[in-house]
Amino acid sequence: MQTNLRPRRPAAPPSPGGDERAARRRAERRARWLWRIAGYVFFVGLWQFTSSFLVADFIVPPPAVILTEMWDIIASGQVWVHFGATLRTIAIGFAIAFVLGSATGLLMGRSRWWEAFLSDWVMATLTTPGLIFALVTAMIFGLGPTGPIVAVVVTSFSYVTVNVVEGVKAVPRDLTDMARSFGRGPAQILRHVYLPFLAPYFFTATRYGFSIAWKIATLAEVIVGTAGIGFMMRQQFQQFSMRGFLAWVLLFFAFALFLERVVLQRRMRHVLRWRPEVAR
Amino acid sequence: MATIKVTDLRKEFVTDTSTVVAIENVSFEVGGHEFVSVVGPSGCGKSTLLNILSGIESATRGTVDITEGDRQAKLGYVFQSARLLPWRSVIDNLLFVQSTRGPQVRARCERYLDMVQLAHTARQYPGQLSGGMQQRVGIARAFSIEPDLLLMDEPFSHLDAITARSLRRELHAMWQETRKTVLFVTHDVSEAVELSTRIIMLARGGRLVADLPVELPFPRDPASDAVALARADLLRRFESLDLLAT
Ligand SMILES: Nc1ncnc2c1ncn2[C@@H]1O[C@H](COP(=O)(O)OP(=O)(O)OP(=O)(O)O)[C@@H](O)[C@H]1O
Ligand SMILES: [Mg+2]
Repeated sequence: MQTNLRPRRPAAPPSPGGDERAARRRAERRARWLWRIAGYVFFVGLWQFTSSFLVADFIVPPPAVILTEMWDIIASGQVWVHFGATLRTIAIGFAIAFVLGSATGLLMGRSRWWEAFLSDWVMATLTTPGLIFALVTAMIFGLGPTGPIVAVVVTSFSYVTVNVVEGVKAVPRDLTDMARSFGRGPAQILRHVYLPFLAPYFFTATRYGFSIAWKIATLAEVIVGTAGIGFMMRQQFQQFSMRGFLAWVLLFFAFALFLERVVLQRRMRHVLRWRPEVAR
Repeated sequence: MATIKVTDLRKEFVTDTSTVVAIENVSFEVGGHEFVSVVGPSGCGKSTLLNILSGIESATRGTVDITEGDRQAKLGYVFQSARLLPWRSVIDNLLFVQSTRGPQVRARCERYLDMVQLAHTARQYPGQLSGGMQQRVGIARAFSIEPDLLLMDEPFSHLDAITARSLRRELHAMWQETRKTVLFVTHDVSEAVELSTRIIMLARGGRLVADLPVELPFPRDPASDAVALARADLLRRFESLDLLAT
């Protein structure tokens, strides 16, 4: 029997194999690192240039001086004492803010009434400058660690809330309906549908909330701290030691970067491994 | 074998601008080992009917009673789209809907995955499967709880003809073997004739316009005269329905 379905030309050669793809990915990663290092070289160079040719050394000390100062702070053990104090403030404050914010967010995302009840107040804390909370808590709690902790709770709480509300509203009805039709109860739906769906929102909340927490914690310590990074910055400031001041600022920067890059992003990649764009 | 009793069912969707009547005054009873197809044009309320039966939507008026002996019947729902949890692997999606745990439950889930020829994807995430494969996982999930009543919303419409045919056979065999009740939504008239013992026809506006028994012996050869005749008859009704609606 004659047929019109003649075999077509053989298909195109198979797409690049795993090895080639992996090689390309490695090359891309290398390129990204090169650019990142180039960025550091450029900005440190700019700094060196400024301090060598434009302004006096005591105003902008050269990078090498700051580096030695940073090393001294680390070697003397001071760094652990004060980072420890600040970290404790942030950890306690942010943990409270995270729990409160998630609960409030779930409530507001699920119920129109609660949203109407709370939303303006959450917005108000979101838009109020952190300095105001730092000052208010300073006046209420005075010197010591309590003021900074409360300031952290109040400021980062609303960031968590706002993100969680947005996430809860985006939870697909399709999936919650599916779970209900198969007889899953509210607790199971919360745990296996809501929370996994909300994970990226929690990460965003943690990132923003955490960066806010850092800022407000050091700020509050500058005002009322008896220990901590902010406290050390204040000391250096009062002695007009640009050297010490910048050294602490940079240590702070390095630490925040480490937390974000290494701890948070790794965790995120693990939790979101089911996503096609993550699971490569 | 579940018993379904639907009385004077009505469903309105009220939006800001309008009220849509999706189901209008529908009553029917399904008792025991029946395979009931629900056919009708797009938008006539088929999915809504299944959603009400499964308890996802509530009725505006009327009652629904689904029982298995003297207890509540267990429902398995195959949705029009797969509705898998993207953060759980295929096998974990099946395990999620089980009410008990244990090795024999797991083995059962694996058996139904095998039935839809997806045993090899058990550890993969839904995002790594094609649309048709996801739909098959949805089918395996509904089967895996061994429900008394299977609700199926156009389960094979996204699949290629060959897979659809083999799953149709599979479904038919399972229905005969386990004596479950099946409520099967489709817009494919031949599919309805091939599988059902009874066909319920809805028209636009969610009115029930026909409730026809299909008294042909199984297995039904789609090419046989009797099946072709039944199909032609149904198609004629279907077309006149469309004329009435416009
Ligand atoms: N959540 C909803 N809100 C408002 N209207 C809805 C909603 N769900 C369904 N409808 C309306 O109800 C009617 C019936 O919808 P339904 O999804 O049950 O149709 P269907 O018969 O399943 O159609 P199809 O064959 O295309 O799947 C449609 O007019 C639709 O617009
Ligand atoms: Mg539908």
